Formats: sequence, C-alpha cells, structure tokens
Amino acid sequence: MTSVEPVSVRASRASVESAGRMIFSMVFAVSYALCFYYNWPMFAYYPQVREFHLSAQLQTELGPPILWYGWLATAALVSAVVAVVIPRQVAGRLWPGLAWAVPAGTIVAILIYEKRWFL
Amino acid sequence: MIIAGLIVHGLLAVFLLGAVTHQAMSVLKRTPARSSFVDKFGAVNAASYTTPIIALFLVTAIGGALLYPQYRLDVRPTLEDLQMRAANGVFEIKEHLAAIGLGMLPIYASAWKPPLAVDQAATRKYLTLILAFLVWWNFLVGHVLNNLKGLVP
Repeated sequence: MTSVEPVSVRASRASVESAGRMIFSMVFAVSYALCFYYNWPMFAYYPQVREFHLSAQLQTELGPPILWYGWLATAALVSAVVAVVIPRQVAGRLWPGLAWAVPAGTIVAILIYEKRWFL
Repeated sequence: MIIAGLIVHGLLAVFLLGAVTHQAMSVLKRTPARSSFVDKFGAVNAASYTTPIIALFLVTAIGGALLYPQYRLDVRPTLEDLQMRAANGVFEIKEHLAAIGLGMLPIYASAWKPPLAVDQAATRKYLTLILAFLVWWNFLVGHVLNNLKGLVP
C-alpha cells in the first residue's frame, strides 16, 4: 500500500529544502570571499612535496602552497553549519532574489578587488 | 598524463559551455520561437539541462582542481618570471568564479527542480545567467592560458 503525500505538504517540504539551499549558497559566496581576502584556509597543500598542512602559516621550504582547496573547505564548512543552524522559518522569509543577488554581488566585489593584477 | 588531463578537462568544459549556453538562451528568450538559428538555439526544454550542467560543472571543477598543482608548480612561476601579471590575474579570477559556481549549485538545482515554480522564474533566470557568465569566463581564460605560448610572442 502506498501513501500519497498531499500537495501542500510536498510544497512545504520543497520550500523548506529550498530555503536551506539558499542559505548555503548565499553564505558560501560571502564566506569564500572572506576566506580568500583574509586568508583563512582550513589547510594548505604543498604540491612540490605532496603534503597537506593544517597551518595557514606559509612554509617556504615546502615550495609554493595551494590555498584554494583550503578556502573552499572553510567556506563549505561554514555555510553548511549556518544552513543547518538558521531556522527554516527565518530562512523562508528572506527575499528569494538574494539567491542570485548575493553571488552576483560577491563576483562584482571579487572583480573589483582583483583589478590589482591589471594596474 | 597532464596533457591527457588537460584535453579531458577542455572537452568537459565544451560540453558544459554548450549546455549552459542553451539554458541561458532559453531563459532570455522573449519572443515565440521563430525559424532562425538563434531562436532555435534557445527553444529547448531548459529544465532538462539542469542535471547535466550540475554534473559537468562538478566533474570539470574536480578536473581543474586535480590539474591545479601542475599549474602552481610550472605555469604560475613562469608567468611571474615573465612578469605577466594580467595572465596570473585572469587565472585568479577563474579560480574564484569556479568556487562561487560550486557554491551556487545547491540553490540552482533547487530553482530548476520540477515542477518549476512560477514565483522562482526570476531566480532561475539570474542564477542561470550568472552560471553562464562564469562558465564562459573560465572556458576562455583556460584556453587562452593553455595556448599563451603561441598567442604571446
């Protein structure tokens, strides 16, 4: 015997799920930008010696580091925690346009910051 | 091995570029489909592209992340030695855009989840356009950097 879920329950569940994803995506964009601006990698990878180091302190004797993996990991962890912690009722009241406006704003901010390479 | 990896990464990027451009053209379409090539290019079932776009974005980004160490060890120091700051800059932006794109995938998937909610049409449109912008940027930058030796005397 199969149970049929009412449409309103399905819509409500979808809305709750969507709110959580929206929070994750918004927070990810902002937290990634902050991680790279303030250099908060969860870890650094040194490809020359193929080693991961938890310390963000630059260890020049190990060769050039890759911090991008660490920034991604920090941003993913922070956004996942925030997406879980923020109550769905609060998230559901946010303007849906924030889902694209926040990443778009972050991209503009990054482009402005990175113009230093072209001056 | 690195050349094979670059070719596979480039091919996946071509598929991703095609899929996201179809979807972006379809969300931009305002007039009923006519018979021109451009109209037909956008006259697709946009929602059906969502899963392939997400899968291709993930696989292409993972491929790029795996190729990154070689870039960091060989290419970037060379660009720095040659004082090609702009080339380094466009790559920095490429990695940031890839990261933002990865973070956008959950809400992008949600916005395109069938049945498509009418009140999410604007969200779908702008998320798709942002994703298309960053995929185009990353595609062009990747190819220009890959061919830089031949492009810049």
